[in-house]
Parts: sequence; structure tokens; C-alpha cells
Amino acid sequence: MKIPIEWLNEFVVIDIDIDDLAKRLTMRGLEVEGVERFTPRFTGVVAATITKIAPHPDADSLSVCSVNTGKEDLTIVCGAPNISVNDRVPLAMVGAALDKDFVVGKRAVRGIESYGMLCSEKELGISDDHSGIFILPEEISTGTVIAESPIAYDTVIDISVPPNRGDCLSVFGIAREVASILRQRAKLPIFTLDAASDQKIEDQVGLTIQDTGACPRYILKLIKGISIGQSPFWIRRRITRCGMRPINNIVDVTNYVMLELGQPLHAFDYERLSESRIDVRVAREPSTFTTLDSVDRQLEPGDILICDGSGPVAIAGIMGGENSEITASTTNMALESAYFNPFSIRATARRLGIRSEASLRFEKGIDIDNVGYAADRAMFLMHQLGGGTVINGQREIFEKREPRTIYITYSNINGLLGTHISHEAMTRALRSIELHVMKENENGFTITIPNFRHDISEAADVIEEISRVHGFEHIPDTSPVAVLKPQKLTNKDRSLNIVREYCLGTGFFEIINFSFFSTKDIELFRIPENDERSRYVPIMNPISRDWGVMRTMMMPAILKCIAYNLNRGSKNLRFFEKGKVFFQGKPHDIREETILCFALTGREKEYFWKEKYPDYDYFDIKGIVEGLMEQLGANCEFSPTAEPFLDQRCSADIKIDGVKAGWIGSIRDDILKVYEIEQTIYCAELRFDIILQKGNLTLQYKPIPRFPQATRDFSFFVDDAVPISAVVQKIKDISPLIVSVGIFDMFRKEMRSVSIRVVFQSFEETLTDERVNSLQEKIIEEMTNIDGISLRV
Amino acid sequence: MDISGLKEKIKSEISRIANADDAKQVKVSILGRKGIVAEYLDKLKTLDKDQRRDAGKAINEIKSWADGRLGELEKQFGEIERRKREAASRIDITMPGTVPLFGRKHPITITLEEIIRIFSSLGFAVEEGPDIESEHYNFEALNIPSDHPARDMQDTFYINPGIVLRTHTSPVQIRTMEAKLPPVKIIAPGSVYRCDNDISHTPMFHQVEGLMVDKSVRFSDLKGILTIFIHEMFGPDTPLRFRPSYFPFTEPSAEVDIGCVICRGEGCRVCKDTGWLEILGSGMVHPQVFRNVGYDQEEITGFAFGMGVERIAMIKFGIDDIRQFYYNDVRFLAQF
Ligand SMILES: [Zn+2]
Repeated sequence: MKIPIEWLNEFVVIDIDIDDLAKRLTMRGLEVEGVERFTPRFTGVVAATITKIAPHPDADSLSVCSVNTGKEDLTIVCGAPNISVNDRVPLAMVGAALDKDFVVGKRAVRGIESYGMLCSEKELGISDDHSGIFILPEEISTGTVIAESPIAYDTVIDISVPPNRGDCLSVFGIAREVASILRQRAKLPIFTLDAASDQKIEDQVGLTIQDTGACPRYILKLIKGISIGQSPFWIRRRITRCGMRPINNIVDVTNYVMLELGQPLHAFDYERLSESRIDVRVAREPSTFTTLDSVDRQLEPGDILICDGSGPVAIAGIMGGENSEITASTTNMALESAYFNPFSIRATARRLGIRSEASLRFEKGIDIDNVGYAADRAMFLMHQLGGGTVINGQREIFEKREPRTIYITYSNINGLLGTHISHEAMTRALRSIELHVMKENENGFTITIPNFRHDISEAADVIEEISRVHGFEHIPDTSPVAVLKPQKLTNKDRSLNIVREYCLGTGFFEIINFSFFSTKDIELFRIPENDERSRYVPIMNPISRDWGVMRTMMMPAILKCIAYNLNRGSKNLRFFEKGKVFFQGKPHDIREETILCFALTGREKEYFWKEKYPDYDYFDIKGIVEGLMEQLGANCEFSPTAEPFLDQRCSADIKIDGVKAGWIGSIRDDILKVYEIEQTIYCAELRFDIILQKGNLTLQYKPIPRFPQATRDFSFFVDDAVPISAVVQKIKDISPLIVSVGIFDMFRKEMRSVSIRVVFQSFEETLTDERVNSLQEKIIEEMTNIDGISLRV
Repeated sequence: MDISGLKEKIKSEISRIANADDAKQVKVSILGRKGIVAEYLDKLKTLDKDQRRDAGKAINEIKSWADGRLGELEKQFGEIERRKREAASRIDITMPGTVPLFGRKHPITITLEEIIRIFSSLGFAVEEGPDIESEHYNFEALNIPSDHPARDMQDTFYINPGIVLRTHTSPVQIRTMEAKLPPVKIIAPGSVYRCDNDISHTPMFHQVEGLMVDKSVRFSDLKGILTIFIHEMFGPDTPLRFRPSYFPFTEPSAEVDIGCVICRGEGCRVCKDTGWLEILGSGMVHPQVFRNVGYDQEEITGFAFGMGVERIAMIKFGIDDIRQFYYNDVRFLAQF
């Protein structure tokens, strides 16, 4: 809400610096987001009176004016239509600077010398109005240097009003808070409404309300013979400063009073109201209605409608109808000032997608007790601006509501805040914002809540008000009184710590991607329909189609991320991401799962002077997974995979106790092509929840053997059909004395030759050669018994 | 027997030593089994007893002197040779070393871990909740009914009517209070989602929620705890202020600002000339929230707070575009 200080000054006396005021409002919960200062950017402009206007002999659109500056008479050629003799206008004299680059000079216009120019409001930077010459307000006398007069200056503070403080959506509402800050009382303008006593409004217009729940207060007033025209400068300026556009005196006054008091108003052309009546109704069935912006609106049951004798003339609190709106020829006008049910207005405004300044205020709740004052205020201003006759009295239906009261104990207040505020200080603080103590006893008091405070309904709300006025800065910082309890570290926490340390120690860059992806990603990864990863959770209102559903896999986003980096010249990447994937089960059954993802591409280092680093291969990513699994105490196996997006030559399923815990391998190059990736990507997706379930983080010391170990090396030809992991397992199974089986060489020459080192170790004795030799024999015998394995000699 | 001749002979032998090899040879020629000294000792046999004793003593003195001198020379020339050898095979010690691979944590993780560390040290336990939430947990239970103006403040992603992507981590408050009785002292980190995508908003971001509920938790305790947090996070000299604000699920509500780290309070573009940066929202748990979870709001009180992790990271590390966190450019990641 933008608040011009000169307007605010009508209700309170601002006797402190504006920046200080802004700070104190912010510390009251009315955050000042900006202070805008308007200062003149022109020089050499004075107020001059037009003494004569004559047509230009050689140009129909121009006139030749004589103006008096108080010191001299000058001739000015001017093209504006809105001036007349005796108007006071801003005259930019010869030598005046209207802008940095524009200096006014003496010049001939179609043969007549012009000694300066008359300015519009826009040319002076006072408003956006460039439709004519700025007719100066009365208080600016002839000869006044405009750059030194108050109209050239203004300060506007922009306040972010919290959503629950509808009462602050007006200059007066802000004035109430300012008054509390400055220990003053905000005063409403006093005026006398001049009404014609010979006509009774009861004879002129009828009013009924069908449901006072929807509309507990409605006032109609009448003015006849009003002339529509431009509003005076001061009204237009205030409206403009508040961010609205001046239109004509009637519309401007309704907006002006709304900005001033927070009460939205609506003006009807009285002559267009069928049967001269207003009935406030709640729609029972759907219908259509044309609003004044010529849009056909769909009305639904529950909408509050303002109707005349033949049907709706306005959607209450939201927008008037074309059929009753004020036009240039309107002379008799009916003014509505009302209170509508906030929830109903909100529902209608939301459905229709209309958020006007009026509906915004009705939605948040206005001051029901101020509806009448606002109506009188608007009538007074309209009469002042447009003349005519105000019809005496008003039609009104008002279901009065008693202000709420709240009882609260002092100890409750100080207990919740951690303060020692005295009862008197509490009472004072509340009184300053018009919350008055109705009753009190030694334990607490009963507070009356004025009807404009829709946000206060229970003790906590009152405590907030006290704390706000008291000042948060005056509440101490304390240490909570609480029982100390140790923080339990779950297996999940410990495992995640292990994962993070592992990734850090093994050179991975952690990345974080959004939890969305696209159904196109699922297609691209060739995930079959019966696969859980095809059962995605769609978003009803996604940002874009690329982020249209919740991800069921992490790799698509990681590939995008790799492509992004490759395009920027980073060719060697090691990425790790921990994140969630989401699966749609039965309706309303959504499963979230934590996934760990690894991806490698390029090589460890682009170059190094000592040696050349090899490109990453399958065994790099496999080693990463094996190492992590060991850290997490999980025994995993690698078996051929059916994952449709992996290159079958070098990819595998990862299983723990037969349960699939993820996959590993390189992405098919036809998929990479879509991402415009030309280098191989080795990656793995691990299901963290399963690893957590199967892993074992228990640390248990085993004695270090006191006896020496023995080592034997073997070389076998191993057929490709026999997986090495099976060979290793087979050897391990031969004897508990075999503590380690490692592959130390592999090469191909017609057949695959594998060299295996076996370590023998006893915890009871030093193994004799005979013992080791017999085990060696056993190994050779068992191995060569397997189809596809023979001893290499 | 000419003992003085012996010393002269030895001296002249030693004087021709020019390197370590010479030293070895000369040592043999002087002290070896067939060396000069041995030769003289041999001659002792020809002398009578008295002469033999005197001469023997003299020869041994010379021998010990020669031994010492030769040792010195051997060491001296040995060192020279060693230097020569090393000089011949010296490496350029300024060539780049073999730096081991070392990973990087994402700056969001770094910031999250720091927040968690501070609150853990203050006795807060870590709780988690689902990213896909019911409107009930995300809104209603937090005192944000469907027609409440506060729903304007958040643009929500809907999965279907009634199910949303959580717009804040606050639902974890409700889930925790429903699951256990007071005292409750938790923080809840996690991803949250809002329909926004520009230089200062991403559709997904991270928050940490905090909740402390007990018999007599005060607003002053909230101030105390959050002051400790901010001083730990941003340094003990960081100015901060609590200012009244509005959240549907707290009352009173406070926004916490820290003095702008860019301009030190002078006013700049980042702090919109206010000298302050909003860092977190907080307040005393609204009685309606307690009623919603079945806590007796006459008996207990509590405070809650919530902060945006990206925002804190941006302030801490001087990052000016929130989208940087999600481009995952290694040139960005390598800086943390
Ligand atoms: Zn700043």
C-alpha cells in the first residue's frame, strides 16, 4: 500500500523524520519496502495567469495567449484546448530547464514569437497527464516559483501490509498505527454534508437484503444533477501517488474514499436502476452477467448480487454491470456503501479471476462501523466536486454486531512472552491501537476488539498486539528451560554420513536436481509400461512439460546436467546425487524412495605430465559401488541386467540377498545422442532404502592372526561363460583357511587366462608346506572339474 | 729407527688424496695390513725392550692421528661425491604434484549440514516428512484453511485435489506432534516446492523447519535460540532484529533480519536499501495448531521457525542467482 505522507499528515502530525517513521512502522509489523521522494527536476517555471486568449491567425489548432507572471506580461503560443482566461498555469519561461536536455528558448511559432511555453503535469513530472495544460490549484498564486511550491514535492512510503491486516489498507488505517507510534490519536476529517431537506430518499429508492449473513450492512445515498468532469489536482495527485488512475470526479471520489478509509464504494446511474430499487440477493442458480468491462461473467449459486427491479446490476464487491454504470451523461447517481461477507467475496473473486482493489478489501474484511461515515464522506466530496443536490438521508439495512471481547490473564501474557510488562503498560499499549480494557481484576482484563480488527479473535492475538506495541526489541533473549536429551543417531543418519564421506573421499561432486522430469524421459529410457518407473506421479499445474511429472529415475536429469557441463568444456565429470523418486501406487498411494546416483565420464584428469590417465570404464563405476557397499556392510552381487537403457555389454543389476538394489553400467549411445553426448557415461543408481535394510554397520574387532600367512598363485583358462565371481566364490568355499582370493592378471589369447592369488591363514598355527600344498591340489582339482576351466601350465 | 720419517711419509701420502676413492686407497696404504704403519711396527721386533716401548708408543700415536685424519677426509669427500651424484639426478621440485581426487559437497548440503549441526548442538532432533503431502498437513492443520488469504502467499503445485507438493517443511511440525507427546524439540530439513521460476525463485528449494514445544516455552526463548543460531551461522558480530510479521500458524509471529552482509547496513541493491536481509520466519505456535493436533494449549506453549536454505547459502557465499544451485556447473560446484 502506497501512502503519500502529505495525505497521512491530515490524520496525524508526522513530527519525525520519514526514514525514522519507516523504520518504526517496519518494527510494528508494517514493513516499509521503499520510500519514494518526488522532487522537481525543472527550473524556471512560474505560475502565470492567462489574461487573454486569441486564435492564431495562421493555425486553427493554436492560440495566442497573453499571460501575466506578476512581474511582466508575455505572449505565449499554445496548442492545448483546456485553458481559459483567468486560469493559473505553469509557465516555463525563456531559459527554463524542463529536463536535463530541454531548455526553453524564445521561438517563433507560425510567425508569432512565443516567450516560453505552458506546461502539462507530465512535462513537470508531477503526473502522467499530458492531455492539457496543468491548471494550477487555487492556493498557488501568480508569480509562485513552481519548483519551490509544495506541489512539486512529495514523499510516498510503500508498505507491505500483512494479509491479515485488511484494516491497514487505507491511509487512515496506517494513520492509526502511526498515531500509536507517535503517541497521538488519528483524527477523521470533519465535514458537514449539505443535503436538500425537501426530498426524502425513501420516496426515491428502495432497498432490501435477502440474507444479512451475506450482506450485514448496506447503505444507498442519492445525488442529483451532478456534473461529471475532471477531478481537481489534489485528488488526482493522491490517487496517482497511490498507484491508481484518475478517471472522472465520481469514479475518483469512490477510489479516493476507498484509499482514504478502506471502504470500497460503487456508483450507479440512478436513472438506469429499474424500478428505482436495489435488492441484495444471493444467487440461487447459474446465470450470465455483463460487467462494465464488457465481459460476460458466469454467475454461480452463492454469489452475492446487487439487483434492481429487473435483475443484477453488479456483482457485489467485485464489479458493476454495464447496464447501470456511470456514463458521461449521468446526472443522478446512487452510491453504494456496504459490508459484504469476506468469504463469499473471496470465493466469487477467485472463481471469476478478478482481483480488484475493492474485492481485495472486502475479502480481508472492512470496518462495518465505518460504512456510513464513508458514504457521507463520498457524498460530501462528490457534491464539492460535481455540484448537484444531495438527497437527504439514506436507505440503510444494518445488522449491528457487538464488538468481540477477550479475557486474558497478565501471567498468560508475560508467561508467553518471557517479559515483565506491567498491567498499566499493557493497557496503555492496547489503548494506543484502540483496543480498550472493558473490565479488569487482579489476574487479568477483558479487552474489547473493534470491528475493524478482523485478525484478533483470541488471547494469543491480543498478546501479539501487546508485544508488537511494546516492541520485540524490548523482549529479552533467554535460554529455554528444558530437559536435556541426547540426540539419537539412526542407522539412516549413520549410513548417509558414510555415503557423504565416501563420495567426498572418492572425488565426486555432489549435484542437486529438481524432483521433476518428463514423461518423454521415461519413453527415452525405454521403460516398459509394467515397470514401476512408468507409474509416475503427474503434477496438475506444472511449470513446463519438461517438469511435468515427479521423477521415477534420477539419471535423466543427471544426463542433462552432464550435457550442460560438456557443452561448457568440462569433459571429465564425477557426479553424485542423493535424492527422492516417487511412484504412484493405488490411487492416493504414493511411495517415495531415496536413491543414490553416481555417474562418471571422461577420465580422472585430462592430462598429467607424469602419466596419461586411462578413460573411465565399467570397472571404475563397479569399484565405486563395491567400495561403498563394503563401507555400508552390504554384500552385493552383480548379475546380467535387463535394464532397457543400458549397453548390454557392460552393465549389471546389483543385488543384495537376491533383492535388486540398483543397476550399474553405461547408457546406450542412442539415448546419449538425444542429449548430444558423445562420450561414454558410466553410472549407477542404488536404492538406498534397500541397502540400509540389508547393510550392517556394526563394528566388531577380530583378533589379528599371530601366525604367518602363505600365498599361492594359480593360472587358469576360464571360458567366458563362467563368471569370475563364481570362480572366486568357489575357491573361497574350499576351506576356511583361505582368507583372500584375488585376481592379479587377466589376458586373452584364444581363451581367457586368469591369474589368481590365494592367501592361506590359520589363527591356530603356522601352516606347514604340506598343508598348503594339499589345499593347492584341492583348488586345482575343484577348478578343473568345472566345465570351461583348465589349468594353464 | 726413524720415527719422524714415518710421520712425514704418512703426511705426504695423505696430501695426495683428491677424492673419496683416493681416501680409501691411502687408508689401506697407511693403515692396511701391509701398510706403512704395519711396516714400522714390524721393525719394532729388532729393537730392545726399552726402545721398543718408546717407539711403539710413538708409532701408535701417529697411527691414531692418521686414523682420525683419514676418517675426516673420507667423510668430507664422501659428502662431496654424494652432492655430485644428487645434483646429477635432481628433479624440478616446482613441477605440479599428484593431487588426489577429492569431491565437493553441494553448497546447499554444506549449508544444510551447518544448520543441522548448530541446532543438534542445541538439542534439536532431526525429523523428516514426505515431499508429497496432503492439503490437510500442508495447510489446514497449520491453520491455513482453503479460503484463507495466506494461500495467496504460496503458489502450490497440485498432484490432485487434496494432494500437493509441500510448499514448506511446516507439515513435519504437525506430523511430529501427532506422533508424540510434548516435549518436542525438532528440526525438519527438506525440499519444498512452489510454482515460480526466475532469478530469485526456483520451483524446488530447501527449507529447515524448527519446533520446540514444552510446558513453558517463551517468546524470549525463541529470540534466545535464534540469536545463537544467527551468531553461529553468520558470525558473533552479526547485527539482527526481530520484527513483527504474519504467519497463519504462529502468533505472535516474527521475521528475523540480519544486517546486510554486502553493504554492512549502509543500504544497497541486495537489501533494497534497508540495510537488512530477511533470513527466517518464526513465532509462537498458534493455539489453533495445538488444538488441531490434540495438544492442550492451556498446558503447553511452543515456538516454530523456518528458513530457506538457498537464501542463507546465497547470503553466506555471495551468490546472486538462485538458479546457479541447480545448473550444477562444475565451475560453480568446485568453489565450495
Ligand atoms: Zn545491503
